[in-house]
Amino acid sequence: MNGMNDPDGMNDDELLARLRTTFEALDPVPAGVLAAGRSALAWRHPGGSLAELADDHNRPVAGVRGTPVRLLTFTGSGVTVELEVTGTGTTRDITGRLVPAGPAHVRVRHPARPDHTTRPEHAARTDTAGQFDLADVPEGLVSLIFSLSDATSIVTSWVRL
Amino acid sequence: MARQVDTADLFVQARAGDGRAWGELVDRYSGLLWSIARSYGLNEPDGGDVVQMTWLRLIERIDQITDPGAVGGWLAVTARRESLRTAQRRGDRRLPYDVHELPYDVHKRSQSPPPEQVLLARERLGDVGAALHALPRRCQVLLRMLALATSYAELAAALDIPIGSIGPTRTRCLDALKRKLAP
Repeated sequence: MNGMNDPDGMNDDELLARLRTTFEALDPVPAGVLAAGRSALAWRHPGGSLAELADDHNRPVAGVRGTPVRLLTFTGSGVTVELEVTGTGTTRDITGRLVPAGPAHVRVRHPARPDHTTRPEHAARTDTAGQFDLADVPEGLVSLIFSLSDATSIVTSWVRL
Repeated sequence: MARQVDTADLFVQARAGDGRAWGELVDRYSGLLWSIARSYGLNEPDGGDVVQMTWLRLIERIDQITDPGAVGGWLAVTARRESLRTAQRRGDRRLPYDVHELPYDVHKRSQSPPPEQVLLARERLGDVGAALHALPRRCQVLLRMLALATSYAELAAALDIPIGSIGPTRTRCLDALKRKLAP
């Protein structure tokens, strides 16, 4: 991306270097943002089958006192994960369904937690209909991981709750 | 100066489990991703979310990326989509980024009197800052991305404009900046 020299002796590359310095001084990337990016590598889940977000919408609220319900659908190879998310404060309640139904252990991944652990209430087992409940999940970036009985796993893509 | 390791090589090393290569990739591109988020008028928490989400998306697809050479453009497109999604969720129509909202007065950032060298550097920054301030938004955004992107392909992905239109726009904005900087 080289440019021509201009009359006052500063070429485009020098000017761009000054611009870079200027923006870095005026609006630097916060250190925490860089740290979060570096730690993203720890969230790799090799071998997990990815279920990607296919639909995300709010169910129309009936009446003024109805609580909004967010409906999320993730689809992967031969599998669908449906989530109903409620709650507007700092936590969310999730009711979900794994299709086709099968015994699975469900776990919430939440990168805001530096220790990578989840409290017991952020893990659940699917029932015979493939349904599960996760209560008081902190708002923020979330991904669910399903460990199936055949030792395979399904990972949903990240979503902000 | 040591030759920069190619982005594609860094990505391939990171994918093979090299944490240092991953860190270098994050250091190299977070500035561009942050700038993209800011160009959508996002505040610091939302901008931070966008950058973090972009890295998490790369991780979730890390084994499916078929062209390591295109990772920079992929990151830029992903950050733009996440920014747009966040801006829409916030109901924010201020697009794109307005440099007027930046903490322009760099002279006020330090409590103790800085050394003369630093003062001189800030003086120069202040010049560029003031000159940017006087440019149209479109040019402010383009110049910021231009200073950070490592290729026209990345720049086109970051700005969502055809690669062919970058050259003329770049020349126009740089010329406008130089005119503002001229004594």
